[in-house]
Amino acid sequence: MPDRGFLRLPARNRELALIALALLIATTGFAAVQLARAQEFAASPLIAAAFFAGAYLIAHLVVRITLPDADPYVLPITAVLTALGLIEIYRIDATLARDQGLWIVLGLVLFVGVIVAFRDIRRLETLRYTCGAVAVGLLLATIVLGSEVNGARLWIRVAGLQIQPGEFAKILLVIFLAGYLRERREVLAAPARKVLGIGVPALRHSLPLLIIAGASLVLLVAMNDLGSSLLFYVIALAMLYIATGRLLFVGLGAGLFALGAAAALQITPRVQTRIDGWLQPWADEQAQCCYQITQSIYTIADGGVLGAGFGRGLILNSGGGTIIPYAETDFIYSVIANELGLVGATAVILLYLLLAWRGFRIATTADDGFSKLLAAGLATAVAFQVFVIVGGVIRLLPLTGLTLPFVSYGGSSVTANFAIAGLLLCISQRANRERA
Amino acid sequence: MVDQALLLLRVGVLVLLYLFVWRIARTAIRDVRGSSESMILSPGHGFDPQPAPVAPSKPATPGRLVVVASDILPIGAAVVLDQPEVLLGRDPHAAAVLDGDGFVSGRHAMVRLRGGSPTVSDLGSTNGTYVNGDRIAAETPLFEGDEVAVGSTRMIYEPGTTQ
Repeated sequence: MPDRGFLRLPARNRELALIALALLIATTGFAAVQLARAQEFAASPLIAAAFFAGAYLIAHLVVRITLPDADPYVLPITAVLTALGLIEIYRIDATLARDQGLWIVLGLVLFVGVIVAFRDIRRLETLRYTCGAVAVGLLLATIVLGSEVNGARLWIRVAGLQIQPGEFAKILLVIFLAGYLRERREVLAAPARKVLGIGVPALRHSLPLLIIAGASLVLLVAMNDLGSSLLFYVIALAMLYIATGRLLFVGLGAGLFALGAAAALQITPRVQTRIDGWLQPWADEQAQCCYQITQSIYTIADGGVLGAGFGRGLILNSGGGTIIPYAETDFIYSVIANELGLVGATAVILLYLLLAWRGFRIATTADDGFSKLLAAGLATAVAFQVFVIVGGVIRLLPLTGLTLPFVSYGGSSVTANFAIAGLLLCISQRANRERA
Repeated sequence: MVDQALLLLRVGVLVLLYLFVWRIARTAIRDVRGSSESMILSPGHGFDPQPAPVAPSKPATPGRLVVVASDILPIGAAVVLDQPEVLLGRDPHAAAVLDGDGFVSGRHAMVRLRGGSPTVSDLGSTNGTYVNGDRIAAETPLFEGDEVAVGSTRMIYEPGTTQ
C-alpha cells in the first residue's frame, strides 16, 4: 500500500507532500474558473497558483528550520482552505481575489512571525495579563471608535483600511484565559460548600464566570453583533470546563446563556429579526429578515450532489453583483456548496474536522497546563466559529455574521487565523520534541 | 470541448480534495489504535523507577529548583538538591521551608535523587503538587526546565553539571 510509505516519512516531508497536493487543488480550481470565464485556457491561473505556491513554500521552509518536530498537518489544511476560498472569491470578483491573495501572504508573514517569536510557547505565558488588557482595549476601541457596517459595530477605520479588532481580541483572550485558568484552576475546581448536595465553588472564584457572561452580554448590546458575543462566551466556557473538569460550570453557563438570550431578545431588535429569518424565512422572502437566508438556501440547493462546477454556478446576477449579499464573506460556504455540490461542501466540513482534531490532539500531547488550555481554546474557537456560520447559512441556527476561517474574504479574519495556526505549531513543537 | 474539460477539472478537484482528507484521516486511525502513546508522557505512567544501567557519575554541582514565582520566597531563590531526599513544606525541618503559604501542607512534597536525576512526589498534601501545570499522582521524573509548583511557589528545575 503506497500510503504506508507516506506515514513513515519524516514529519516535515509529509507536510511538504500535503502542501504539494494543496497546490495541485489550487491550480486545478483556478484553471477551471478561468476556463469557464474565458472559454479558453490562459496562463493567468498558473501565475496565481505559482504566487500561492511560493508563499506557502517559504512558510514551510521557516517551519522546517524553526519547528522541526511540529505538527505536519495544520499548515497543509490551511493551504487547502485558503485555496478554496481564494478560488471562489476569484470567481466572484477578480479584484477582491487580488486583495485576498495579499491577505493570505500577510497572514503567512504573521504566521512566520508567531513561530519565530514564540518558538518556546512558555514565553507567551508571561504575557498573559498584557494579552488580556490588549484584548479588552481592542474591544473597547471597537465600541467607541467603531463604525457600523450593516447594523453591527465591528469595524475600525485605520489609514483607509477597515480592521475587525474582534478577530485579534479573540486570540488574545484565549491566551489570557489559558494563563489565568492554569493559575487558578485548583481553587476554581475545589468546591467550597455544598448546596443541595452539589459542590459550589466560593463566590469569589465563580466571579470570572459571571464576568464573562456579563461582558458577553455587554458586547452583544454594544456591538449589536450576536456572532462574536456568542463566540467569546462559548470559548470562555469551554476553557473553564477544560481547566476544571467540572460540568457544573457548563450547566451554570448554559443557564446564564438562556437568561442572556431572553434579555437580548428584549433589548436588541436585530436579534429578533434574526430569529424571525431563522424560523419563518419563507414568510416574506424579499424582507430584510429573510432575503439573505432564502437566497443562500436556493444557492445551496441549486448545487445538487456534485455541484455546478467551478465558474459554472449561478452566483452572480445580471449586473455582475452577487445574488446573495455578502457572498464572499459570510456566505462563502453557500457559494462552495453551489459550485462543488454536497460532495465538495462535505469535504470542507471534513477539513475543519481534521483541523479541530489536530488542535485537540496537540492539546492532549502537550505536557503543561498552559499549552493544553491554549491549544484546546484555539481549536474550540475555530471549530465553534465554523459551526455557527455554516449552521447559519444552512439554517440550522439563527444567522450570525461570522467569517468562515481561512476561506472568507477579509484581512483581519485571514491574518488572525494564520496566527492561530502558528500558535498551534509552536505548542506541538514543544510536546513532540520532549517525546522524541 | 470546454464542457468536457470543465467536467474533468471539477471531478479532479473533488478527487484531490478527498485524497487530501483521506491521507490525514488515516493518521487519525493510527492515533486511535496507538493511543497508549499519549499516556506515556502523563505524570506517573510509564516511568521506570529503576536507576539507569550505566553507573551515573556524581554531579560536580548539584541541581537546583529556582523560584520563578512565589508569595513567600524571593524570586531567584534556589532549593539546592544536594541530599538524596529534599523535603518541601511548612515543616521547619524541611529543606525548603514554605512557611506563610496557606496552600502548602506541613510535609508537602519530596524531591528524591535517583541515579543522579531527580524525581518529585506528593506526600498526600491537601492542595497537590504540580509538574508543568499538571497535578501529579505518583513519583514523577524531573527534566531540565520542568516547573514544580507547590502552593503559590513555582520553581524551575536546573540540572547540575556532571564530571
